[in-house]
Amino acid sequence: MKKATGLFILMGLLVMGCGNRASAPGVSEDKILIGNVQDLSGPMKELGAVLPAGSNLYFRYVNENGGVHGRQIEMKVEDHQYNPQKAVAAAKKLIEKDQVFCLYQVIGTSPCEAIRPILAESGTPLVAPATQSGSMSDMSREAADLIFHTDTGYDIQTRILVDNILSDNVNAKIGLIYQDDDYGENVLKGAAVAEANTGIPIQKEAYQRGATDFAGQVANLMKGGATHVIIAGVVKEPIIVMKTAAAMGFGPKFYGTSPTMDHRISLAAGPAGEGFTSANFASLWNSDAESAVLYRDLCTKYEVPKAYMGMYHFYGFITAQVLVEGLKRAGQYPTRERLVNGLETLKDWDGGAYPPITYSQNDHAGTKSVILVQVKEGVQTVITDWVE
Amino acid sequence: MEIFIGLIQESISGIALGSIYALIALGFTLIYKATEVVNFAQGELMMVGAYINFYFVTTFLAQSGEPTIGVFFLAFAGSIIFSFVFGWVLDWVINRPLKDEPIFSVIMATISLSIILRALVAIIAGPMSLIPYSPFGNRVLSLNGIIISALDLSIIFSAIVLVTIFYYFFNKTKWGIAMQATSEDPVAAQLMGIPVKRVYGLVWIFSALVATISGILLAPRMSLLDTSMGFLGLKAFPAAVLGGFGSIAGAIVGGIIMGVIETISMGTLSFHFKWIKEMNDIIVWIVLIAVLMVKPDGLFGEEKVKKV
Amino acid sequence: MKGRYEDENLSWIPLLIIGIFLIPFMLKEITFSYKYYLFVLNMAGIYIILTVGLDLLSGYTGLISLGHSSFLAIGAYTSAILVDQIGVPFILSLVISPLVVGVFGFLIGFPALRITGMYLGLTTMGFGFIVKRLIIALRVWTQGAGGLEVSPPMIFGYTFNSDWDNYFLIFTFAIIAVIVGRRIGKSKIGRAFMAIRDSEQAAEATGVHLAKYKMLAFFISGLFAGFAGALFAHTSHFISTDHFDILLSIYFIIMILVGGVSSIYGAVLGTLFIVLLDFLFVPELKDLIHRVLNIEGGDIQSLLFGLIMFLFIIFQPTGLYGMWIKIKIYWKLFPFNPKKRLI
Repeated sequence: MKKATGLFILMGLLVMGCGNRASAPGVSEDKILIGNVQDLSGPMKELGAVLPAGSNLYFRYVNENGGVHGRQIEMKVEDHQYNPQKAVAAAKKLIEKDQVFCLYQVIGTSPCEAIRPILAESGTPLVAPATQSGSMSDMSREAADLIFHTDTGYDIQTRILVDNILSDNVNAKIGLIYQDDDYGENVLKGAAVAEANTGIPIQKEAYQRGATDFAGQVANLMKGGATHVIIAGVVKEPIIVMKTAAAMGFGPKFYGTSPTMDHRISLAAGPAGEGFTSANFASLWNSDAESAVLYRDLCTKYEVPKAYMGMYHFYGFITAQVLVEGLKRAGQYPTRERLVNGLETLKDWDGGAYPPITYSQNDHAGTKSVILVQVKEGVQTVITDWVE
Repeated sequence: MEIFIGLIQESISGIALGSIYALIALGFTLIYKATEVVNFAQGELMMVGAYINFYFVTTFLAQSGEPTIGVFFLAFAGSIIFSFVFGWVLDWVINRPLKDEPIFSVIMATISLSIILRALVAIIAGPMSLIPYSPFGNRVLSLNGIIISALDLSIIFSAIVLVTIFYYFFNKTKWGIAMQATSEDPVAAQLMGIPVKRVYGLVWIFSALVATISGILLAPRMSLLDTSMGFLGLKAFPAAVLGGFGSIAGAIVGGIIMGVIETISMGTLSFHFKWIKEMNDIIVWIVLIAVLMVKPDGLFGEEKVKKV
Repeated sequence: MKGRYEDENLSWIPLLIIGIFLIPFMLKEITFSYKYYLFVLNMAGIYIILTVGLDLLSGYTGLISLGHSSFLAIGAYTSAILVDQIGVPFILSLVISPLVVGVFGFLIGFPALRITGMYLGLTTMGFGFIVKRLIIALRVWTQGAGGLEVSPPMIFGYTFNSDWDNYFLIFTFAIIAVIVGRRIGKSKIGRAFMAIRDSEQAAEATGVHLAKYKMLAFFISGLFAGFAGALFAHTSHFISTDHFDILLSIYFIIMILVGGVSSIYGAVLGTLFIVLLDFLFVPELKDLIHRVLNIEGGDIQSLLFGLIMFLFIIFQPTGLYGMWIKIKIYWKLFPFNPKKRLI
């Protein structure tokens, strides 16, 4: 009995943290606190390990060089397991309990959509949500004025991929495997546009987020005679789809939307992944782009394990650059409003890896073009220039 | 005619999948047969087995450099030895502290065990998914245009072998009959001189053994290995219940039926009837509930007469 | 206040109710993060309504339900569709949604007449999976797996827009739910439930109509869960099928187990304990471990949760309510406490 009472009191004490009231939430004399919500233990936890690490790499570099206007950047990461409801709880914790200055890099289309009401209610900006859904820059949605998207949307990507397929083979039979949620919805939007433009029907197969068995969808595509298949998945899905297809003796040309950019996909898929073409919203991490060079130098300097280095790690890096630029433009005494205004002054800003980024009061989309990257002999090779 | 060939192809693939369900179901059934406990952590036991095997293979591969039969065999042996130890530890952890508690508490304990195991493996192994090794490479056998992989054949073979061994054990050997006695009435069994505690311990070791073998066989069939593998254990429940919990023959029959139904529904049925596509992952549960409504104790279940 | 029994002292109840309504004000004084704590308490309040019903079903009647999160889901989606797509006022939806879920309860209660024990548990588990899939399949109304935005609760023109407002709404109903649950538990119905749990044959022999009471148990627990679901949908502003999974169903069972089965107060204590554990205590512990040992990752949270669960089952199987009773008896008998344990 005593143990129980003691336990409850201990719980209570541990939990009542003292809040630091600052001028703007999350900003103190020497620190800015940023909030991030990732999938740390759910279906996409590999990204949760690598993505914030990339951002922290850049933050470390910035902090060691004096920070932003003398303030060190600190990032707190919560876990939502790719569950939109848990994302809401995590966002509330970061905003209301930990009092972060802004949210950053929240991953997943559905989780980002789910937290819009909290962003609006608390006036918290969300910079660089880690999703390429075009809905993120849809200005008619709630809290759109607070969200700054950096990546080109799936709908645009899908259209570009279809155009590329048709330029490869005018008589292609196109198949599409997509995730049955907000991500897929945005992809389907692009597919509908492509179908309307070209008059060519696309065979669509859905899968549930987190699924690991694609035998059904692949078999259906095979029966439908698809010659070119677009995989709108993340990391696990393209690997499993290509391997399953290979096991079934089905060999179409595979394409992917930007989340499938990671080189580990071709690594894991092995020979089945040869020729895989994906759209990417930024330059490759091993290219000559300015940010990529800086990235590799820092990885060597800070002894980042090789397994981490790759597109997603780099993605964290380059979005951190955008955030830091916004923080710089927010001035010596940053407030949330100043951050928003600061970001909206970005015009054709070249961060060193993204195509030029432009924000304005009515346009928070950032970029509108992608490059296509193909796996040739196991190595990712850029095959086109920036396409709109 | 093409549909017919497709159905046969899917049936064979379904039998392989069903054999995996059967093996997992066998694990459930063993524990239930002896202790009346439903082990919700069975899927996670399988996952642990798969990870341990992966660890052994990687270690031995690093030493020998070449993926030879020897490497896989040694890894297999290592995993089996591990499963013996693991099963013994599990018995110690689950049965000793909870020996007088109602069955419900023990079942909840297995549920928390599954949560713990999943989290532990994720922490130790790290967040990256693993790429499993297949000891049979990509070899396939082809008969009249019907393809079956060497891996699937070995799965079916192992399932049949294991089920036969355990069936024989439970029905024809002294220890096996002792175990059945213990499950029916532990007090009477003890009075008759059966070392009940040792029986419990043994049955958990068997279960861990079967789980590990299922894990080793299943891993190459999945393109990626990660901790969510344990959820397949949940899917094997309908298989076990379908055959009748507590019946070894039922486990394999239930498993195979479920595997075939699932594969055919995902393949031919989905292609011709679009609405079935929506139901693929729950078809096993629908079948289960339908069967239970007609035969509440499963296909082979023995009707339990409850003591007043 | 007079209770049913002469020596039952119920005067603490009004005090408790006043205390519950004072909590938001107290929290606001103590900490800046009060909004977040209210959010957590709101979650607990909604779940309490559900677990009261679950306790009546699984604790009192012994019918194990491993699919109760699906009842919550049906209530949530039903209410969301009724209010946002059909235009039913929220208050009316609070009446209709529980009834809808109650009907689903009947549907699942039907197999329960013949299927028993663990088989029933598995059937309810299957039911949970099937409902989840069904919700996704009915995407015309439910937006499929993407999730549905839900409007906030609106009663007589007043919109409950914040966690502060929601607290009062939720806990009013939570208190009512507990009172109703307790009344049912102590009534003839409750006794019939317990008789069925202890021995179906004996119950039948004493005139308890098995089918009627089993169906009633499922219906009542459906009502509670549906009500909770409606509140959940509108106070969360967003629902998706990810949330209503088997893990949540298991959480609910853990709540009534930890609290102590077949004592409605146990369900309350258990729910509070688990929710506070999951949202507040374990994350703090995780941060502590991260600072001290530098181990990271969301899996630590699951691990800690699982461990605490396990330890609880081993060391305190009578649950929190059992502990509370022991404390009460200790004080009642003081200073004549016997050396040996009475329970």
